[in-house]
Amino acid sequence: MIGPLEERVAAQRRPSRFVAFGVAVLLGVTVLTGRLAYMQLVNGGQYTQRLDPNRVVAEAVPSTRGIIYDRSGRLLVTNVPSFAVKIRPGDLPVSQRAAVVTRLSALLGMSATDVNTAIDANPGSRFDLVRIANDVPEPTARLISEESADLPGVQVIVESHREYPAGPLFSQILGYTGPVSPDQIKDLSKKGYLPDDWIGKTGVELSYESYLRGTYGVQNVERDPSGRQITVRATVADPEAGASLHLTIDSREQKLAQQAIQWGIDTAHLESGVLIVMNPQTGEVLAMVSLPTYDNNLFATGISNTDYQALLKESGRPLVNHAIGDQYPPGSTYKLVTGTGGLGDGKLTEHSTIVTRAYLSIGPFRYYDWNHAGWGPLDIKTGFGHSSDTFFYQVAGMLGIDRLAYWARQYGFGSPTGIDLPGEAAGIVPTNQWKEDTFGVPFYPGETYQAGIGQGYDSTTPLQLINAYAALANGGKLYRPQVVREVIGPDGNVVRAFKPMLLNTLDVSADALRIMREAARTVVTIRHTYNLVDLPIKVAGKSGTAEFGTRDAQGRLPFHSWFVGFTPRDPVNGSFDDTDSQLVVLAFANNSRTMGNAATEIVKYYMQLHYGIEKDYRLPELLRRGNFYGD
Amino acid sequence: MGVLRIERSSLRHWATRPMGAAWRAFDWQLTIYALLLASIGLAMAYSNSDDTVLQGGSTFLRGLMWAGIAIVVFTAAAVFDYKWLKTLAWPIYFTNLGLLAVTLAIGKGVGGASRWVSVGGIQFQFSELAKILMIVVLANYLSRRERKLDSLTSILGACLLVAPAAVLVLMQPDLGTSLVFGAILAGMLFMSGASLKWLGIMAGAVVAAVPIVWTHVLRDYQKQRLLSFLDPTADPQGSGYQLLQSQAAVSSGGLLGKGLANGSQAQADLLPVQSTDFVFAILAQELGFVGGLVVFALFVALLWRVMTSAWRSRDSFGLMMGAGIASMILFQLVVNVGMVLGIMPITGIPLPFVTHGGASLVSLALGLGLLQSINIHQSRAEW
Repeated sequence: MIGPLEERVAAQRRPSRFVAFGVAVLLGVTVLTGRLAYMQLVNGGQYTQRLDPNRVVAEAVPSTRGIIYDRSGRLLVTNVPSFAVKIRPGDLPVSQRAAVVTRLSALLGMSATDVNTAIDANPGSRFDLVRIANDVPEPTARLISEESADLPGVQVIVESHREYPAGPLFSQILGYTGPVSPDQIKDLSKKGYLPDDWIGKTGVELSYESYLRGTYGVQNVERDPSGRQITVRATVADPEAGASLHLTIDSREQKLAQQAIQWGIDTAHLESGVLIVMNPQTGEVLAMVSLPTYDNNLFATGISNTDYQALLKESGRPLVNHAIGDQYPPGSTYKLVTGTGGLGDGKLTEHSTIVTRAYLSIGPFRYYDWNHAGWGPLDIKTGFGHSSDTFFYQVAGMLGIDRLAYWARQYGFGSPTGIDLPGEAAGIVPTNQWKEDTFGVPFYPGETYQAGIGQGYDSTTPLQLINAYAALANGGKLYRPQVVREVIGPDGNVVRAFKPMLLNTLDVSADALRIMREAARTVVTIRHTYNLVDLPIKVAGKSGTAEFGTRDAQGRLPFHSWFVGFTPRDPVNGSFDDTDSQLVVLAFANNSRTMGNAATEIVKYYMQLHYGIEKDYRLPELLRRGNFYGD
Repeated sequence: MGVLRIERSSLRHWATRPMGAAWRAFDWQLTIYALLLASIGLAMAYSNSDDTVLQGGSTFLRGLMWAGIAIVVFTAAAVFDYKWLKTLAWPIYFTNLGLLAVTLAIGKGVGGASRWVSVGGIQFQFSELAKILMIVVLANYLSRRERKLDSLTSILGACLLVAPAAVLVLMQPDLGTSLVFGAILAGMLFMSGASLKWLGIMAGAVVAAVPIVWTHVLRDYQKQRLLSFLDPTADPQGSGYQLLQSQAAVSSGGLLGKGLANGSQAQADLLPVQSTDFVFAILAQELGFVGGLVVFALFVALLWRVMTSAWRSRDSFGLMMGAGIASMILFQLVVNVGMVLGIMPITGIPLPFVTHGGASLVSLALGLGLLQSINIHQSRAEW
């Protein structure tokens, strides 16, 4: 029931609560008054001392970034001084901001919007320095310094940026540095990175960032209210320069490699190509070229968005290191795995033969040999030498896909090699379980045949492939490829010495590998690689023509060209029974569709250049468009 | 009592009401105190600008404009019959949440925050308006439940009403304003007559939740702000900088201050947010202890008049409105001035009427206007 109005309302009003509220008001105000009295009447002196408008700021002193040298000590990067313009928003009074922004945009040739965006971009404290412009020309920098009285909060900082003298030649390996991104800075600020710092973005600049950066120092600097520096009060900690890197890369080999692959690209009009040179005894990479490539000097002072977009859109994707970042079907080069597996599992011996015909059938399907005829009975060496598909279909069939996968993993396929560069792809080694997980059905026998000749689901990076042949050449040790040989500290002491890193010892006898090396030599002597055998040096290896993609109107598939080759330590008189090879070379021609194997010609050219062979054995007519297998 | 007659308030009814009674119920003192405080704020803006003070776009002129708008809003709210608010409570609530959501979506602010929305070059901070709207909604809720205020459910219901708005504000991120929501809730619950036992338990729960909030909810710079008030000398160039400069300014004021426009800190533009939250520091420097006392006295008087309206209100809606507005003003006063004087952590809470900020002034005008509406429209018994 609703009672009388007044009684009901009176019940709401509890006088005690009003009194309590009043007490709270008086209490609050009394405390404030008391504190105010204390500060203004009693202690006026203590606080006014802090009225000194100047302040002392602890600032970071950047360290010199480490230098990178090639194998012989040649300089691949230098630090060049440059001027940057920065603003500390906390020192820029709101009332003067518009005028300062206008003046700066006029001096720097930037739009006022860009300047404002840069000032507001920093998510951190208003007392952090924010970068407005990089690599400002010296006269402009001096002008801004001179006008500093009218530009509160603006500072001209001397920094250094990277210069790469050889530009595109080493860009895939060296990479470049760039500004720290906002999501990185949260974790990195604990390590001493500033919000507008620079950090390695790709290549060894990234993978060795912590060595190259060194340690920043700390200085106490006195500044006036508008942020201008007055004096350096004290140096709390000296900066420690970054360590230098000595690469395994040899500049001479890199140049020759680039020359060879560039010739191949120009003659065969390739979209992209790769050439890698390694020392199989240690895993050192002597040369690594991926074309097309880019000039990393473009990034050194901050690349413009237009230039960056152009690089992203360019066909051939120059920003990707195709040697490690892309994976392709290996084609016939994979027969190394099948052959080794056959020997290792006792399905083959050195002289046992398998009959090869025009094709094999499974139900209604026919699996053809590349010459559509076969060669009759072949042993492992002649089978490998002719690159007979039906030979290796049968060996793969004997092994089964899971056993084939075992031998592939022995050679390092299907996982990244762990090379000290970022962006490595893993490749694919298919198994029954993998196919179940990925497609929900098991492996079909025909697909096992395909896997045995490096087609179907098999996928590898060029680096994995050359590394496998390196293990063959050195007698069965799979090493981790490395591009940095040593890290030397700023005082000259070795911070990290060179050590070959063994990934796996092949689970097969030394004799089996000798047989495979002789098989690789047979590839050359049997003239499957045309006149490669005529060179004055002995080369063993394997070519590959890997189909991919979708069939054209005539039912043909496009294809890549591969060739991997190695020479004995004594290239003229040495023998492939020995395991002393010092040189293994791989070339990859992307979507070559040439009459002959373009990669073989490229490696041939490199060998000529490397060994100083005067006569030119190249057969450029092989690089004309056509179908390798004949029409 | 006789026959109960429920009269709907209508325009015709209002127009025929004797004017004399209305004007007598209009609380002149409340208006005068508020106007005085606002004038002090304008005087600070005027005296601390540079030569451009009378040019378009200057802080002072914009302050004048907002003051004009605030007076209009105040008058309109006083004339408006507050009882409509009871029917409009839910639409107001959802409009409130909507405005806060919009602020999150398209708002801009310092350092990536979303505090204010720009409409045609004018910035408006919706969270200021949200406080008043929340008070209206809460007042309606609590007055409806006046018989059930002993139960925990009423208290929880009030908390649930306030929570979405407080969270939306906290996401901006604006820790200070969300604390004001908390103060409003606490003050209104206390004054509503809710069971002290339950209120005490909830207060204990809040205290217990502080460590959890510290670790999981607060961002690093917010923690740093809170910590630096405890020892501003620990980071004298960063977060402690404002504190040290403001304390220096205050203490240099002495008894009578240095005179208007003579603040040294102001001229050196050293207090980075000098035209907004730290205005009391300038005031203390320029007008001295006496000036500070005057401001405090005006606030005490204002709060007294607000509580008087609450006491006199014939329905509990008016009581709650008064309690809410008083709690808000008291909390902001103590925290803002405490921050300037170094006994409270730095938060982005404005000093009512004095801090330059259009949204704050207009929202206060709305709130006080509604109080006047309550005074006026209760000047005769409605039933």
